[in-house]
Amino acid sequence: MRYLTIALTKGRLAKKTLKLFEKAGIEAKEAEDDSTRKLIFEDPDMKIRYFLAKGPDVPTYVAYGAADIGIVGEDTILEEGRNIYEVMDLGFGKCRMCICGPESAREYLASGDQIRVATKYPNIAKDYFLNKKHRTVEIIKLNGSIELAPIVGLSEVICDIVETGTTLRENGLTVLEEVCPLSARVVVNPISMKMENERISDFVRRMKEAL
Amino acid sequence: MNNNLQIHTPEGFRDIYNGEMKKKRKLMTSLMDVFDSYQYEEIETPAVEYFDVFGRDIGTTPSRELYKFFDRDGNTMVLRPDFTPSVARAVAMHFRPEDMPLRLCYEGQTYVNSQEYRLNLKEMTQMGVELIGDGSAEADAEVLAIICDLLKAAGLTEFQVSVGEVDYFKSLAGHSGLDAETLERVRSLISNKNFFGVGELLEGERIHESVKKALTEMPQMFGGREILRKAEELAVGVEAKDAIERLREIDVLLTKRGYGNYISYDFGLLSRYQYYTGIIFSAFTYGTGEPVAKGGRYDRLLSHFGTDAPAVGVGLYIDPLMNAMSRQGINL
Repeated sequence: MRYLTIALTKGRLAKKTLKLFEKAGIEAKEAEDDSTRKLIFEDPDMKIRYFLAKGPDVPTYVAYGAADIGIVGEDTILEEGRNIYEVMDLGFGKCRMCICGPESAREYLASGDQIRVATKYPNIAKDYFLNKKHRTVEIIKLNGSIELAPIVGLSEVICDIVETGTTLRENGLTVLEEVCPLSARVVVNPISMKMENERISDFVRRMKEAL
Repeated sequence: MNNNLQIHTPEGFRDIYNGEMKKKRKLMTSLMDVFDSYQYEEIETPAVEYFDVFGRDIGTTPSRELYKFFDRDGNTMVLRPDFTPSVARAVAMHFRPEDMPLRLCYEGQTYVNSQEYRLNLKEMTQMGVELIGDGSAEADAEVLAIICDLLKAAGLTEFQVSVGEVDYFKSLAGHSGLDAETLERVRSLISNKNFFGVGELLEGERIHESVKKALTEMPQMFGGREILRKAEELAVGVEAKDAIERLREIDVLLTKRGYGNYISYDFGLLSRYQYYTGIIFSAFTYGTGEPVAKGGRYDRLLSHFGTDAPAVGVGLYIDPLMNAMSRQGINL
């Protein structure tokens, strides 16, 4: 039998997923050991192997079929816009995609003026302003510490993930508008879904039971 | 100017040389033999057509993904993205109703200006058939049998032809009373097999419980012939019930001819080509991220060109097929 390959998102999401794997009866001990240098792990009995990848790369692995299944945040799925199936909401990693800024930026948003939006998610931000708000904005792509942008005057607002809002408050920023709620998802390659339907459905069923 | 600049092919276009071209030629010859065995006659249409052949009301590739340019008179011209509308146009021009049914086959290059395709090829070789002037389930079954024979001729043993029916969704959509925008979102959630998205979206919408239930289930409505029964239980409207009846007929015909094992059903298969009116299908195999063949029934397309005739056809994509063959270690 062919191995089913699963791509997991590195970091907090992987930790939660591995716990779920264990409950679902998939070997996860080795991967949970932080000191391991192995890149790929397997459960030979279930013919499942999995690896950890950076979030934005997970939909890529799945779209190309290098991984049959991926576990990734919905923010990444929306941003990457790949042709993949979204088959399950894992319910954890819950947060919101929001437009944030200092309270004073609210009037900029309300006005029709050209504003600058700093974000790690240029596609989500563009879609929100162009297709939902029907206005053009200047998108500035950043790779981290997005909260800095309005503070140092790089942009008027930011488009970013908000979990608790603590980082925002500590930096004098607040949520101005909500774009959409987010959580972790199980995604599947369309071809794998057809060719390995039974095994993938079985995997999803096990995950559902373990939740 | 940098004199050392090597000129390479534009992004999305490639040279095929040495052994690869030989393999491609051999493959295409065996596929052409299959067309011959079903007595399909070859037709060649020009690579360039007027924009209207692929225009918006035809419902084919979106305009921004077409390669467009102008002729001397200022008409907009298009490099064909797909053969079916070209063949439909040619049939309307050159054939009369008494010539039907027509069995036509073709091979040639198609051009789509999009990054979306995973092979990242903007020029792809396509081979296919169109069976025009026959609206029966036998015609559908014939084209499906041809796909199976083509893939077998390519040396594939493990492949699946997934068959859907666009009327099933259309019927539900018609009975839902939802506005066009919401329906488009439902359609996209279903075709992305988003197992929970439809339910979330329709929560609180005031639509009939049976329609809601069927739409919510649609992303998961795929599998072997047992799925036909599930789809039937949830069907709303005459068109949806007729759609199931048609699939049953096709299933019987194909099983009788020994193709049953290759066929599966998928009611969530909704093409972006709007011209499909009945069955619709895609063929999949290991080793490529893309379907290797796509097709369906398009009973109203020819009327755009002045002839009224039902038709069904399939196009095979040679490039992903060759990728799949090499990854599966198949040498013809």
